[in-house]
Parts: sequence; structure tokens; C-alpha cells
Amino acid sequence: MSEVRRAPRVTDDPTRRWASAAEIAAAVRAGRVRAEAVAEAGLARIAAAGELAAYTDITADRALAEARAVDRSVAGGRDPGPLAGVPFAVKNLFDVEGLATRAGSAIGRDRAPARRDAALVRRLTAAGAVLTGALNMGEYAYDFTGENAHDGAVRNPHDALRMAGGSSSGSAAATAAGLVPLALGSDTNGSLRVPASLCGVFSLKPTYGRLSRAGTFPFVDSLDHLGGFARTVRDLALVHDAVQGPDAEDHACADRRAEPVTPALSAPVGDLRIGVPGGWFAEAEGEEAVARLTRAASALGRLVASVEPVDLPGAASGRAAAYLVTNIESAALHLPRLRTRAAEYDPDTRDRFLAGALLPGAWYVRAQAARRRWLAEAMAAFRRVDALIVPATPVTAPLIGQKTLRIGGREVALRPNLGLLAQPFSCIGLPVLTVPVFAPGELPLGIQIVGPPWAEARLVALAAALERSGAAVAHSPVRCP
Amino acid sequence: MKDAGTYMDAVAPALGLTIAPAHREGVARFLAVAAEMAAALDGAAEDDELALAPVYLPPAEEG
Repeated sequence: MSEVRRAPRVTDDPTRRWASAAEIAAAVRAGRVRAEAVAEAGLARIAAAGELAAYTDITADRALAEARAVDRSVAGGRDPGPLAGVPFAVKNLFDVEGLATRAGSAIGRDRAPARRDAALVRRLTAAGAVLTGALNMGEYAYDFTGENAHDGAVRNPHDALRMAGGSSSGSAAATAAGLVPLALGSDTNGSLRVPASLCGVFSLKPTYGRLSRAGTFPFVDSLDHLGGFARTVRDLALVHDAVQGPDAEDHACADRRAEPVTPALSAPVGDLRIGVPGGWFAEAEGEEAVARLTRAASALGRLVASVEPVDLPGAASGRAAAYLVTNIESAALHLPRLRTRAAEYDPDTRDRFLAGALLPGAWYVRAQAARRRWLAEAMAAFRRVDALIVPATPVTAPLIGQKTLRIGGREVALRPNLGLLAQPFSCIGLPVLTVPVFAPGELPLGIQIVGPPWAEARLVALAAALERSGAAVAHSPVRCP
Repeated sequence: MKDAGTYMDAVAPALGLTIAPAHREGVARFLAVAAEMAAALDGAAEDDELALAPVYLPPAEEG
């Protein structure tokens, strides 16, 4: 299924596979290339990459129509938007007008087609971006693997025998494989960060409440976040800035003005202090995760004021609270379907939903109290350091079908544990930018840069500095499906 | 969870759920994981503390 891919050439051809969103938009806006030509080239690559199982719907007609509209704006002297002609795709829990929002399920295919796009899709298309389709995901987002009983396992572009990670599996894989420069996904416990880590791309899970979730299929209201994937920090900043801002249609979206992060791409980081949590985190990190963390810490040590150990003993309770809140809220959401259609669920999610429906209310209340205490502890840590760095996954991509992991000397179930290093931070809504740390030919592994609430710009500055240093680069796969 | 089978037999009917025989083993496994997580929260809060993460705030404007 693979072909040997030539090393990317240094060229300004914006229709090439590895063109960045920034390059494409600049070329389209300047009239050096037609958005339609960019869309056609992208759609041809998507059609040829079926074995990756990244896409569940390809919106070719829509993409070409949107691209032609961008070209008409350019020809007419109108501003086509900051992402003019940039192809993108979204996890299939985003509403896309005319498509049933399946959220990775078989049951969802019975839903009526969406009557309008999700809020973030509307904002990206308003910025001139071109929607190429909807992407595969773990069923109802309850997944860290990228496996899906209905639509197939998404293949990792760096090794097709390995997991892409989930639940935003198609989003990370499509970005890593050069099918799109940008994709949107969601993250409740790590569903942006785990696939970004395994596929070797950047992702930004913003602060809880930063981005509108309107028009997306929910998973866990207390913990659901949306965010983007990209192959460069600049592209990640561009997509974040295009979609942020308040929205009354999502009750959790903060009434907070947009705070652009693109200016932070060149911001100085020399005064920043970085914390490296040990304890519970260190016990869960596999050998390769420790090596990549050391690589990132070493690079940061040359860029920032200090890199120092920090103690966060509450992380274990944060992770446990995230597990219970997720299990109980999501099961309550699905209860009517679990009563009548349990057999139609992916077996890997069904039993977890059923168990969650049965759990005592006291456990939920205890978990919500633990979240508050863990947040207080994390905020105290942010008085000593400006950001934390933690591996996003305990290991590099496991083989598709693998059922267990060795963590801390114990053989544990893979499904609930592949994202355990990500869960404590989404539990309390902290912003996390995941950067890929790997050499060409190595399996990727991501490092989370975690900040206090609303500090996305600081994370972008740190990630951009790491990218410039060469320590965090989204290398294209050596062999790409 | 000590006796997951007895627990699910008692609770599932109250929720209108039927746990099919083929699903019981998996459900019991995830009940055990959840119980492990709940146990990890023992001591994570003071006695008689009930300060929860989500707090309902009424809208600022009068209705």
C-alpha cells in the first residue's frame, strides 16, 4: 500500500503535497495559483489514499465550488480571507451541511443530514478555507487507538501496521500524510494529543471554553474541547486564530474576546521557566517517552530561563476524576440508545458505556470535587513555572490490534491507558500544545506543552522556538500511503 | 468491584438496561476499572467538602 516518497523539494509550488497552509494562502491571495488547482491536487491525493482509512466522506463538489468562489474573490479584488484556498477536513463529529453526523458510529448514519455546518467549519470557510471532507474517528470519541469496527482502523502514515491514535485518528493521519495541511478534531481526554503524538504532527487543545463546540456531536460536556492539527506551528496558529471567539450557541464557550496567537510565533521565550513533572507522570512514561522528553527538555534548556522538576501529586486523582466524569456523563448521554441499540455499538466502546451507566452518583460527585482540588494544585505550580512539559503518550504507536501496554512495570489494558498522560490536563481544561519530537525514520512521539488557562500564546511561542531549533519538527513520513 | 455480576443485575433494570450475556464480561471489566478510579479518589477531598468543579451561575441580566 506504500510507495517510496521522494524527499520534499524546496519549491514554492503550492499545489504540492507538503505545502503549508501559510504558503497556499499567500500564493492564492497573490493570484500566483488558483484555489481550484490546489483543491484538485489535494482531492486527487485524498482519492489515492483510501487505504489510510482517514476519510469517511469526501466533499469534492463542495471543495471545488468553495475554491472557485475564492478564485472569484481574488479576481474581483475582494479579500478572500487569511486561509484563502487552504484545504482542510474535520473529524466526523462536526456537522457538515448535507452529511449525517455519524461521530464514528454506525447508529449515527441514520441521522438526518446536518442542515448547516458546525460553528468552527463556518468560521474556517469564512476565512477562505476549503472543506474536503469528514474524517474517521473512534466511535463516539471514546477511544485512544484510532480503531473503528464500522469504518476500519486508521493507519499511521509513518507505519501502516500501527495505530494512528484516537479518537481524532483521521484528522491526525490526514495531516501527517499530507492530504490536508489543516484538520479539526476534538479532545475530551487526549483525543487531539494522542493521535498528534503517534502521527507526528502539532495539535492545540485550547483552554476549555475558548472554542465554540456548537454543531458538534457531544461526548462529555464537562470536558469536551475542539482544536486543530497542523504540520507547522504557524499553520496551527493560523487555524486557531481563524476559529476562536465567543459564541452564544455553546453554553461553555467563554464570553472572551479573541486573543490572536499568530503574533506570538516570534515572541521571546528566554525568560520562561519550564517545569517537568516527575512522580506519577514519570512512573507512567515508557523508555522512548523518557528519551523524547529528555530531548525536548535539553533543547528548551538552551532557549529558556530554566527547566526544573516540579511535583504534582494530584495528577493521579485528576486522571481518575477524568475517567469517572467521562464514563458517567457519556453513558448518561447514550442511555436511550444503550437501552435499544446496544448491539449496534462498536464492541470496544459499548461495554464501557454500559458500565458507566451503572455507576453510583456519589462517584461522580467525588470526581467533580477532585477536579476542583487538582486545578488548585496545578494553579499553584504555575506560580513557580510558566509551562509544563510531559510526553503525550507513554509509548510510540502500538501495532493495530494490540490490546495491552506495559506501564510502570505492569501489563495494563491499552484502550483506557494509552492517553493517561493527557487526561489530567483536559480534566481541568488547561491549554496544551503538542509538539512532535522525532527524527526522520523514527516513530513519532509528542510532547505536551501545558500552560495555565488562556495562555495559548505562550505555548505557541515555546512551540515555535522548539520548531526553529529543530527539536520539534513534523517530518513527513519516509514511506507514505 | 467485588461482585460485579450481582451489582449489574441489581442496577441495570432500574435504568431500563438489559446487559446481554455476551456483554457481561466486558461490562464487569469496566466496572472494575471504574471502581479502581473511585478508590483512587479516596482522600482526594476533605470530609464534608463539597466544592465541585462545575458551578451554576445565573445570567447577569435580569429575566
